[in-house]
Order: sequence, then structure tokens, then C-alpha cells
Amino acid sequence: MAGLINAEKPSNIDDYKNVMVFLEARDGKIKKPGLEMISVGASMAHKVNEMLIGITFGESVGSMVKEAGEYGCDRVIGYESPDLKDFRTLPYATLLSDLILELKPNILLIPATRNGRDLASRIAVRSRTGVTADCTELDIDPNGRILQARRPTYGESTLAEILCKSHRPQMATARPGIFPVPERKKDAKYESEARKAKIKKEFMKKEIVDFKPKTTVDLTSAKYIVSGGLGLGKASGFKLIQELADEIGAYVGASRPTVDLGWIGKDHQVGQTGQSVRPKVYIACGISGKAQHLMGMKLSENIISINTDPDAEINSISDYIINADLYEVLPKLVEAIRKKKSEFEMQSSNKKAEEKPVKENIEEKKEKKPPQ
Amino acid sequence: MGLEIIVMIKQVPDSSEVVIDPVTFTLNRGAARNVINPADENAIEQALLIKDKNPGTNITVITMGPPFAETALLDCMSRGVDRAILVTDRAFAGADTYPTGLTLAATITKIGKFDIIYAGEESTDSSTGHVGPGVAEFLGIEQASYTSNSWAEDGYVFAERQLEDGVETIKMEPPCLITVLTNANMPREATLRKKIDAMKKGIETWTLANIDLQPDWVGLKGSPTVVKSMRTINEKKREGKKFNVDEMDKFVDELVEKGILTFGVD
Ligand SMILES: Cc1cc2nc3c(=O)[nH]c(=O)nc-3n(C[C@H](O)[C@H](O)[C@H](O)COP(=O)(O)OP(=O)(O)OC[C@H]3O[C@@H](n4cnc5c(N)ncnc54)[C@H](O)[C@@H]3O)c2cc1C
Ligand SMILES: Nc1ncnc2c1ncn2[C@@H]1O[C@H](COP(=O)(O)O)[C@@H](O)[C@H]1O
Repeated sequence: MAGLINAEKPSNIDDYKNVMVFLEARDGKIKKPGLEMISVGASMAHKVNEMLIGITFGESVGSMVKEAGEYGCDRVIGYESPDLKDFRTLPYATLLSDLILELKPNILLIPATRNGRDLASRIAVRSRTGVTADCTELDIDPNGRILQARRPTYGESTLAEILCKSHRPQMATARPGIFPVPERKKDAKYESEARKAKIKKEFMKKEIVDFKPKTTVDLTSAKYIVSGGLGLGKASGFKLIQELADEIGAYVGASRPTVDLGWIGKDHQVGQTGQSVRPKVYIACGISGKAQHLMGMKLSENIISINTDPDAEINSISDYIINADLYEVLPKLVEAIRKKKSEFEMQSSNKKAEEKPVKENIEEKKEKKPPQ
Repeated sequence: MGLEIIVMIKQVPDSSEVVIDPVTFTLNRGAARNVINPADENAIEQALLIKDKNPGTNITVITMGPPFAETALLDCMSRGVDRAILVTDRAFAGADTYPTGLTLAATITKIGKFDIIYAGEESTDSSTGHVGPGVAEFLGIEQASYTSNSWAEDGYVFAERQLEDGVETIKMEPPCLITVLTNANMPREATLRKKIDAMKKGIETWTLANIDLQPDWVGLKGSPTVVKSMRTINEKKREGKKFNVDEMDKFVDELVEKGILTFGVD
């Protein structure tokens, strides 16, 4: 435990080397936000000729260590114990901060998931250093190997660059869904080590008495989102939203008042007090685009607004605007998409029919080629 | 049996009044009213719900902030909080999450006995969610973050954590720290009677001298991180191309042509 201690500057800053990433896992598998740390961590480490060290915890870690190595960690350390099966703050924080003392990483990255943030806050205090939360851009300045941690602030309107020059490790949590999952290479070379962990009883007092998995709508990594707002007028309006979503393989989003009215579950809410999303396409149906909603979706690549009010705020950040009643627009849009899709299917089945003989011809030619 | 509860709250600019310029997307905080951070209202309500069920419970609310944060504390007392402490000192200015947590932990150490500390999941103006768990670490106690509900039973504290992939029910021994999700409950309104009581009782004001920390451990001096620069997030230029309701075929053609809709090919 830290005790009431100040953020102390280590005298041996130059001894701190390499980038360490915490690979959050569940049931023996590294979760996606953990894998995302590998791509950004590796590019920073390799920029200054250092190593990326992946850390993972679990009941047994064999397959996770392999996974971490194949996804691009140069060195992987796995701690295993039945007590590490589930995320628990104190055992995890204690092992990870002991490892920081041992390996002296220059940078430590943790996914900005709920458990990740829970852990990062405590590690930072215990290591007497700073941490930048929820970064969307991370880079290393080769001069002095300073982490440039950038995070959106003021409701996603500005990007602040935050430095932690004189404390180590330099810590950041990284927002899920921003950094790419690296390619897995079966022939990757990496060092690995599985360590048996011994957890003190006093750290195991917090019990997880129940865990109910949920198949949540994780909108943060959705590629397509169709969202409904108060303009739907009634709960059943979400059926139309769902229909369009099904047609294009999208997730369903919602504005806050529709959630407050109980028309749809809270895990569909987009915005300041809901999820922050950045899909390829965001279709806002009957959503006015108040600041708190825009905060959560304005980074979407393409925004389509369907709204009866030509002056709705959302229109000012839309790529496409359909100024009409959504109850008229949505059925027509679904219809047009179905038509287009069936054209596509016909084309591709025609193509397949055409392709086959061509392929066979090529093979025939090959076979007929005289040996040289 | 009564519990000793401490709630940490922060005063923030009201985000519904904060105006975002639709062109530059910069924020005009100047005009905004100061309010209790939304998640902290839910933390207060959670503490009051425990008090409702466990007579004899005492709730102390604390904040580190400028003198005008007094209004937020009086608001809490008008809802049924028993005691309020404003920790204020010029030396605290410019604190990042480390010295903020340290200052609050030192304040709590001075207050003395407690069973549960409540905090919000995060504040709307700095939105890190680090201060709560940081305080737990300084004090060396257990924590449950991102909770939608919590209760005391048989000498234990239970909490439901909302995770990305499920809901976890935690059982802890007090003392412990719990962070509460925004919208976890419906915060009650102040009553006139309690408002009058609050005005009569008033709040306590503490300074650095009350909490035994060194001046260079707090505020800007005690902060490991510095904000190097800020830049406006460059927004994509949006054309706002219009299609009317009878042009859906043409609209879908355009979306497909531009590669915006691909029907699962990508
Ligand atoms: C602290 C705080 C946090 C908040 N957090 C969030 C958040 O996370 N997410 C969020 O969404 N909101 C949030 N809000 C609420 C936000 O301020 C707005 O109230 C909300 O986003 C408005 O929702 P809406 O667009 O669905 O409704 P409205 O603003 O009522 O807009 C409805 C729109 O539908 C259009 N319309 C009506 N009928 C039709 C029709 N038949 N066809 C097409 N269009 C139609 C109207 O022209 C209008 O533009 C928050 C507020 C506060 C104070
Ligand atoms: N200055 C402060 N005074 C009291 N509590 C605070 C302060 N700053 C943050 N907190 C608490 O910590 C929570 C998380 O804040 P943050 O880490 O800033 O996102 C808030 O919801 C408050 O409960």
C-alpha cells in the first residue's frame, strides 16, 4: 500500500527501459482491448530500439503467453494461480507493481476498460507516478523517450497532450477500439516465462460472489450504428430502427431520453453519459443532436441524419441529410437497400458462374505446358 | 447498525449549459453554472439509501475545491448529509489526480473512522475516474469501481459492478471505497426543512494546515503530469448533401459507390 506519500521522482530515470503492456484477459483468452495495446506498444518500443513486454494473469497462462508472443510482444511474462482466475484489484495491483520494481519499464500501458482503469489508478499511486487516462493517441519522443499521451477532453472537442517527464513508469490507459489489433504470426520469435504466483490471503478478502455475463451491445467497436431518438415518438419505433440495422449489419444506438423512457436498454445509449462511438457509418433517426449526444458520436466517419427539422443541430455535422419523417424514410430506405443487395447477389452469382470455366482453362493450359 | 460513510464530491461546470461551438467544437465554459458532478449526485444518493436502511448512519461529504464549492456542499446537506467539509487552499491549485487523491486521503485520515467511502465513477470535467481508486490505494483499503448498486449486510458491504462483459457482485469487509455510476439511481431533491437546517449548521472549512501534508506534495507542485498542449480535434468537413424521401434508390447507389455501404464485403 502506498500510505500518504508524495509522487516521488526516481533518481535513476535512465534505468527505466522498455514498454510494458497489461493484457487483460477473461477465461484464458486475452481480450481485444489488450491486443490493441500490443500494436501501439510495439511501435513505440521499436522506435527507440527497446522491447515490448506483455504481462498477463490467469489460472493458467500457457495459451495466453503464446497468443501474446504471436501477436507481437518481444517478451511475455504470465503469472498463474487459481487466485488470478478473475480480475481482483489487490492481487493484480500487487503483482504488477512488484514487477515494475523488478523490470523498471519506461512506459506502462493498460487498456482503458473498467477493470483496466480500476487497476491503473492504483498502480500509479503505488508506483508514485502519473497516469493519463483514456488516450486515443500515443507516441514516444525519441529524445528522452518521453511518452506523448493524448486524450480528448472537454467533451471530445480538444486533444490534450499530457507528459510525465520526471516520474517512472510513464503510464497511460488507452481507449478500446482506437488502436488496431495486430496480425497474429505463428512463426513470431519471443521470449516467454510463466511464473507461479503466490497471493497473500489478505489480498483475497474481496469475494466475487456472482458474475452474470451479458451479451452487451458493445457499441464502441461497432462499424455500423443506426440510432433512434425522441423523434420515434414511441417505443415500438425501435422496430423500424432494428429492421434497418439488420439489413446493413448494424448495431442499434439511442439518445438518452429514449433510454430514460424505457424504450430501449441503457447499453444502447450514445453520448456523454452513454458510450463514445466512432463507427464507419452512424445513422441518426429523429435525433436533434444536442451537445451531449454529439460528444459521443461526432467522430463517426460518415454521419447520416434523418430528421423532420431542417435546422436540427445534428445536420451541421452530417454528411447526408434526409429532411423528412422517419416513418416514411426508413421503410423506403430498407426497400432500396434490399433491392441493391439482391442486385449484388445476382452479380456475384453471375460472376461465380463466369469465373469457374476461366479458372479451369488456366489450369488446363498449365498442364498442357510442355516440361522444359 | 449505523455506518460511518464519507462521500467525495466535486463541483463542475454544468455540461448542459456548456456551449459547444458547432464550427470549431471548442467549449465555452465561461457561462456555465457550477453543479455537483453528476456521478457524485448518484454517490450521495447511494449513501443516503444506505442511511435509510441503517438508522444511526452518519454521512460526511468532502470536497477539495475553491471556496465557492461551498454551495455544492450545502446542497448535499439539504438532501440529508450530516456533515460537510470543504478542503481549500491556494496550494491545492493545479492538482492532477495524484495530489488530488493524496489530499482527499489525508483529509479522510484526519476525519478518522469510516466504513465506506463513496465517489463518482468519474468527473465530467477531467473524466479520468482515477481519484476514487487512488484514494483507496493511499488508504490501503479494498475498492469496487463502476457500481450500479451497493448495500450493507451482516457486517459486509456488497456492490454490483457493471463491466463491459457482465455484472459482478462483490462482497467486501469494510472499510472500503466504492465508485458509483452516473444514473445508478434517482437522486432525491433537497427539502426546505433540511435546507434550513443546513444553513444553520453550515459547513467546515479546512486548509492544508489541517491535513498534515507538505506544501510541495499537493497542487501543481505535487503533480507528476503536465499538460503540454491542447489542440482542437480537427473535424472532418461534412458536406450535408441532401436527398429527399423519394430518392432512396439514388441515395443507396451513392452510398455504395462511395464505399460507405458495402454489405459485408469489407
Ligand atoms: C448531464 C447530461 C448528460 C446527458 N447525456 C446524454 C447522452 O449521453 N446521450 C444523449 O443522447 N443525450 C444526453 N443528454 C440529453 C441531451 O441534452 C438531449 O436532451 C438529448 O440528446 C435529446 O435527445 P433526442 O435528440 O432524442 O430528442 P430531441 O432533442 O427531442 O429531438 C428529437 C428530434 O426528432 C425530430 N423528429 C421528431 N419527429 C420526427 C419524425 N417523425 N421523423 C424524423 N424526425 C423527427 C425532431 O425534429 C428533433 O430534432 C444529457 C443531458 C445532460 C444534462
Ligand atoms: N477535488 C475533488 N474533491 C472531492 N472529490 C473529488 C475531487 N476530484 C474528484 N473527486 C472524486 O473522484 C471521482 C472521480 O473523479 P475523476 O478522477 O476526476 O474523474 C469524482 O466523481 C469524485 O467523487
